Amino acid sequence: MSGDQTVICRCEEITLKEIKETVERFQCSSREVKLRTRAGMGPCGGRTCRCMIDRLVEQLGGPKISNDVSLSYRPPVRPVSFGILGGEPK
Amino acid sequence: MNSMRVTDHPILGTLENKKQVTITFDDVPYPAFEGDTIASALLASGVRTLRHQEDKGTPRGIYCNIGHCFECRVRVNGKNTVRACLTPVEGDMRIESGGEL
Amino acid sequence: MIDLVIVGAGPAGLGAAISAAEYGLEVCVLDEFVKPGGRLLGQLHEEPDGKWVNGIAEAQKLYYRALQLGVKIKCGVSVYDIAKLESGWCVYTTDQIYETECLLLATGASETPIPVPGWTLPGVMSIGAAQVMGNVHRVKPGEKGIIIGVNVLSVAIARELQLCGVHIESILLPQSSFVSGDSAHPEKMMESLLRLTHLAPSPLIRFGGKWVNPKIGARLYPRNGFKMWGIPIQLRKTALEILGEYQVEGVRIADISATGEVVPGTEKVLSADFVCIAGGLTPMSELASVAGCSFRYIPELGGHIPIHNECMQTNLKGLYVAGNITGVESAKVARAQGTVAGLSVARELHAIKQRADEIIDIAKKEVIDTRRNALIQFQAGIEREREELYDKGNNVFEEKISV
Repeated sequence: MSGDQTVICRCEEITLKEIKETVERFQCSSREVKLRTRAGMGPCGGRTCRCMIDRLVEQLGGPKISNDVSLSYRPPVRPVSFGILGGEPK
Repeated sequence: MNSMRVTDHPILGTLENKKQVTITFDDVPYPAFEGDTIASALLASGVRTLRHQEDKGTPRGIYCNIGHCFECRVRVNGKNTVRACLTPVEGDMRIESGGEL
Repeated sequence: MIDLVIVGAGPAGLGAAISAAEYGLEVCVLDEFVKPGGRLLGQLHEEPDGKWVNGIAEAQKLYYRALQLGVKIKCGVSVYDIAKLESGWCVYTTDQIYETECLLLATGASETPIPVPGWTLPGVMSIGAAQVMGNVHRVKPGEKGIIIGVNVLSVAIARELQLCGVHIESILLPQSSFVSGDSAHPEKMMESLLRLTHLAPSPLIRFGGKWVNPKIGARLYPRNGFKMWGIPIQLRKTALEILGEYQVEGVRIADISATGEVVPGTEKVLSADFVCIAGGLTPMSELASVAGCSFRYIPELGGHIPIHNECMQTNLKGLYVAGNITGVESAKVARAQGTVAGLSVARELHAIKQRADEIIDIAKKEVIDTRRNALIQFQAGIEREREELYDKGNNVFEEKISV
């Protein structure tokens, strides 16, 4: 297996190659990488790969890691059933 | 069957006798101790693959073991996306691999 | 409305619960894991005086003390959202919705991954996963393991796994790539390993003493590494790929130069039934981010840190942080920070009738002393970075207050 085929986002199985190509083609931020590739959009909410993608984008010549949490989190930060969201007792 | 158990530990001591229950994973029965998580009980019996990735079908098992990564998600008694590493076993618990969102 | 909800029942969360409850506050602690204790649960190490520190026993002491004080502790509960109320905070969990005057985020850190070809195979896990499996659940992660990533955590946990009866074949470096960064660099890793000499296992002290300069150390580093507790630590070997059809069967490795380049013709395969990835820890910022905290990116502290002051207050009223969410350090520092946070909340809610500032100052000093006496220094420059952050935190806080 070549290094480029290494999986970066385990949830969505997005490879280093896909992320590299996206950054090179669109010159984009890690937030945009996430939206374009779905990396970091799986059930873990990006908890596993977020910091890797930040670093990757920086090293590929994208925006430097800033003080903002770039792949900003949106609630729910854990997958929950619609029942719980609707206030149904457990 | 339980060769993966750390029964005697030089510092943490010997595991006291715990109550045994039976769980099923994809219809195969496995022994588990009370206090086990689904993940620890299955690993004690040598089961490493808990699901297959939805798109590409690659096999997956536990990764972080503390609920962060969701790699060990299974279906438990019909409920999807249950983290095997955070869920204590119960007698007759029915666990299935897979479990799409 | 509860006085204080704490997310995370590790040393910081329980420490805060205890100090707040000692001043009569109504406290509720929430944690996702099956047992209270957080990362403390997995820890097991020998102090220089030969005494073993058993994290499970330490966690139990904190837990019982908190229960004694009437703290409610709920395990197996996940927090999925938090929202600011007119006064106080609303915490949405898989169990129920809590309304609280003050909220403390003590969510700790998650493990930093190092992607390696083949790392999604069953049998590959984070080093912390193997630690919890062995020490907490008392199940071996496998019979024969290889650890990718040489750092304070991986060497300490390798020893713990050995005590569980697991054979560790090798601790080696990840391959140099875009993502692995310094963790693939022998000289850089030598530097970080030298900070481990506090932990005292004699081979490393001898080794560190012999080659104090990391540059020289990495160059003179024996090609087959050196052993600690009989475990080979190999700064001049790298993991190229994890192999296996359905689960881990082995790792393809190669020799590397002092600067990390693969030496052609040195590839070989080591067999193993499990592999641990040891990339260090990153503070978990998600709940603080959802709450609307401001952050600073501070690599020395492990990543994005919510801005806070020495009293552990964030820039949002009633929202506090403590433990590894404020930067990766030892469990003892986390506990001491928790105490400060609990006392600060008690002061905010006017539960400390006398000498509140003085009491908090003593607790703050305890954090500094604990940090200075820590056996394991995770990162260089922690103290300096913290002082700068606190200045920032104080400024932000004063601005808010003066409005």
